[in-house]
Amino acid sequence: MTSPLSSAAAASPTVMVEACGVEKWYPNGFHALRGVDLCVHQGEVVVIMGPSGSGKSTFIRTFNALEDFQQGSIVVDGMPLSNDVRNIDAIRREVGMVFQQFNLFPHLTVLENLTLAPVLVRKRPKAEVERQALQLLERVGIHEQAQKYPGQLSGGQQQRVAIARSLCMEPRIMLFDEPTSALDPEMVQEVLEVMQELAREGMTMVVVTHEVRFARQVASRVVLMADGQVVEVAPPEQFFTNPQHERSKQFLRQIG
Amino acid sequence: MPMPSSLQRLRRELFATPLDSLISVLLMGGLTAAAAGLLHWALAQAQWLVIQANSTLFAIGRYPLDQQWRLWLLTTLLAAATGITWGLLRAWPRPDRPARLWPRNDVLASGLLALLALLLPAALALTPPLQLRWWGITALMLLARWGAGCWGPRVPGPIRRLLPLAWPVLYLLGMVLINGGLGLMPVPPSQWGGLLLTLIESSFAILLCFPLGILLALGRRSDLPLLRWGSVLYIEFIRGAPLITLLFLGQNILGFLLPGGVAPERVWRAAWVLTVFAAAYVAEAVRSGLAAVPRGQLEAARSLGLPVHQALIHVVLPQALRVALPATVGQFITLLQDTTLLSLIGLLDLLGTARTVMANPAFLGKNAEVYLVLAVLFWCCCAALGLGSRALELRLNPNANVRSTLANAKA
Amino acid sequence: MGSPIQAQAGAAPPWWRNRRLIPWLVQVGVGLVVLVLVAFLVGNLVRNLTAAGLLLSWSWIHNPSGFDIAETLLPFNAALPYWRALLAGLVNTVRVVIAGLVGATALGTLMGTASFSSNGLLRRLARIYVEVIRNIPLLLQLVFWYFVVFLQLPNGTAALQLPGVVLAKSGLYLGHTALVNGVWQGSLRFTVEFTALLTGLVVYTGAFIAEVVRGGIAAVPQGQWEAARSLGFSPLQTLQRIVLPQSLPVILPGLNSQYISLAKNSSLAVACGYTDLYSVAETTLNQTGRAVEVVLILLGAYLVIDLLISALMNGLNQLVQIKER
Repeated sequence: MTSPLSSAAAASPTVMVEACGVEKWYPNGFHALRGVDLCVHQGEVVVIMGPSGSGKSTFIRTFNALEDFQQGSIVVDGMPLSNDVRNIDAIRREVGMVFQQFNLFPHLTVLENLTLAPVLVRKRPKAEVERQALQLLERVGIHEQAQKYPGQLSGGQQQRVAIARSLCMEPRIMLFDEPTSALDPEMVQEVLEVMQELAREGMTMVVVTHEVRFARQVASRVVLMADGQVVEVAPPEQFFTNPQHERSKQFLRQIG
Repeated sequence: MPMPSSLQRLRRELFATPLDSLISVLLMGGLTAAAAGLLHWALAQAQWLVIQANSTLFAIGRYPLDQQWRLWLLTTLLAAATGITWGLLRAWPRPDRPARLWPRNDVLASGLLALLALLLPAALALTPPLQLRWWGITALMLLARWGAGCWGPRVPGPIRRLLPLAWPVLYLLGMVLINGGLGLMPVPPSQWGGLLLTLIESSFAILLCFPLGILLALGRRSDLPLLRWGSVLYIEFIRGAPLITLLFLGQNILGFLLPGGVAPERVWRAAWVLTVFAAAYVAEAVRSGLAAVPRGQLEAARSLGLPVHQALIHVVLPQALRVALPATVGQFITLLQDTTLLSLIGLLDLLGTARTVMANPAFLGKNAEVYLVLAVLFWCCCAALGLGSRALELRLNPNANVRSTLANAKA
Repeated sequence: MGSPIQAQAGAAPPWWRNRRLIPWLVQVGVGLVVLVLVAFLVGNLVRNLTAAGLLLSWSWIHNPSGFDIAETLLPFNAALPYWRALLAGLVNTVRVVIAGLVGATALGTLMGTASFSSNGLLRRLARIYVEVIRNIPLLLQLVFWYFVVFLQLPNGTAALQLPGVVLAKSGLYLGHTALVNGVWQGSLRFTVEFTALLTGLVVYTGAFIAEVVRGGIAAVPQGQWEAARSLGFSPLQTLQRIVLPQSLPVILPGLNSQYISLAKNSSLAVACGYTDLYSVAETTLNQTGRAVEVVLILLGAYLVIDLLISALMNGLNQLVQIKER
């Protein structure tokens, strides 16, 4: 089943993220990324899968400069990732990120978590941001919890707040770093539903996850990474039923 | 027939085993003997005249009599400000719970204050006008508390945001009132003494060592080698030196460090030494607070587009300071206690004043009375700070287990 | 995060926006400010000292001191040079610090474990002891012990006498004690100044050590106590053999800082009239005016003491670490 988004991508192939030959070594000499290439078009949902230690999280964290890289180039939304502080700040404004550990600010209420960045960074008036924040909270289903503190919410609720927080900055791309891996099983679905809704609305998403069902239903493309390299890129229905590479077959066997 | 539960509890607590029974008997005997002796001494033998006759000296040193109205004014303003702040803090609801205007602790505290205002001036044998003034000031504080509690919620937003500024303004005003200038006759620091000097020195040091300590802690955790090693050098140098040595250094060498050998007033030299000293220890406390903040917090803030300084101010530091609060307030308490060392370099803080008082032939040998009163005074101030810290901890982190005893943090 | 990112085709960013350069610029800036400040201060220092004829030199240290030291382990008189005086002061400091460390550890451990006693009165007393001592300044406690307690002790025949121990206004005598012409003698004599200072330091530091010990014992999981009891250990045996050894890795760092604190607090000896290093240094300064050198000696000496204590405690810490996989 072709996701409606791939046709959208074919119609308007604006490249949101273009990574070419990205190489990264850790200070201890470990070669984490070995010449990774990836092109993400607007409206695409790219799901990156792979065994642990394959560099998937490291890779997407290079998109918003949370990780450095030594060689290659990355262009995000037309802006090259360089040493220019202005570039990096601009890129971070347009790229939203959802973390495995939620990373909500525990000393602020849910509403304050959402409004902090737009008010400080985009310098928007607080009342307007609060209105938008409440709308977003309603979209992810946490409207009543706006005045609570993150510590009072369940894991699934916190992650949905985290998604809303990133959305409040009106990003053009959303990165998801294993968003459901730290959740109890019964809460995984509520978060995936929010992500599916986002994808349906046309958000460009790059998702690192182990959730196969999500990938099958939502992804435009599935990327398999192993040992710091891209092993295979294919649409989900092809990847899961007829993987080409031996490594992909091995991986699919492992995750059952 | 079952024994009454309180008796059972007493037996279990004190006489559970033969060894326990022995210890209990010995302790109770010793305690009653000591208490009886202390009471007998306090009521029969001790001569409290030394305190009563010198109460002004202990309170404000040799501040000129005709200028003391300035200190009264300052005390009145402080009382009013404290009452208003107290009332407002109670009146404004937190985001997740309603406000409680008169919790039991507040009732107890108000009662205690009223009691102190009634008894202390009489115990100190103050003249009736002075006693009346103290009653007035206490009444003003309680009235301000009540008023702020009633009308606080009606204060409009913009004014509400400006209100915390009142305290720095009040502090500066206080400095002007005490020191002179702006049309007021200057009173040289050599005439400040007693509790006034102790409070000036400790408040100055507490206020300044806090931001300095935060900067040092940030520097210590910085990636930049120069900042990190600079902070480490500073902190380890200060922590390796006894305070008296640094005060000694301040008094003797500071004069040589400025052009022309001009040295600032001894009072301010000591205040700066206290600040520089305490900042190193506060830095250590804040550093452990910073270490307790997960790395993901800074990452999340940066990935939202917040620049580093805003990420620190709005996300990292609030969390770090909450964790570091007990240890930091512990440092402030230590600082208050360390002001007694000023007596060793010839400044007339509370302890220094005490020694000059006892040098007076009329009061020779009254060491016990004076030291006891000072001990009680310090104990009350430090214990109050400790209680305040625990209350603040609970307020900031209602879910946390607040059995964190104040860190001693003397080294 | 300092490794370079290849810029794509395009110029490198201007220096004030360059992520790689900014840290170095900040450091250079801060370094320059600090350097200028230090140069200014040191320049003034040198100029002012030269004007006063007090420029850094160490020859004065061989001059006769001209003052006496109230009590000293090493023989000393006014004709001996300053460095001998300072050495005597240092020995006095080390004496009281070592005795203080032993006493405070003993008292602190006792009170710390008393917090877990089955006797409710003992528990509460231990708590009260800690809360009272912690909130009263050390200097105040020291002058209290010296002036109010020890200097008020009776003398001569009225002195407190126990087998082998005599406590009088003239001092603490241990061993074979005898009253000779109204003056006490003993095989080991400690002056009142030393005893008062030691008592004050031990009582004060003991309270903090009690807290450290209490925290360490509390950090041992409850399950250890339960397991020990189910194996038939008495509470005292449990404490000795099972809980205390496990609490040591937690206690030792806290103990380290308390020991250093005690060593530094010994400098308050001047309040008790005890001639420790600081008090001798102060007298030296008053006589020679050599502020910079005396301060350097003081700072250096206490730094060395701190480092020795830390080195010892770190060594102990290595020994008591519980071996884990």
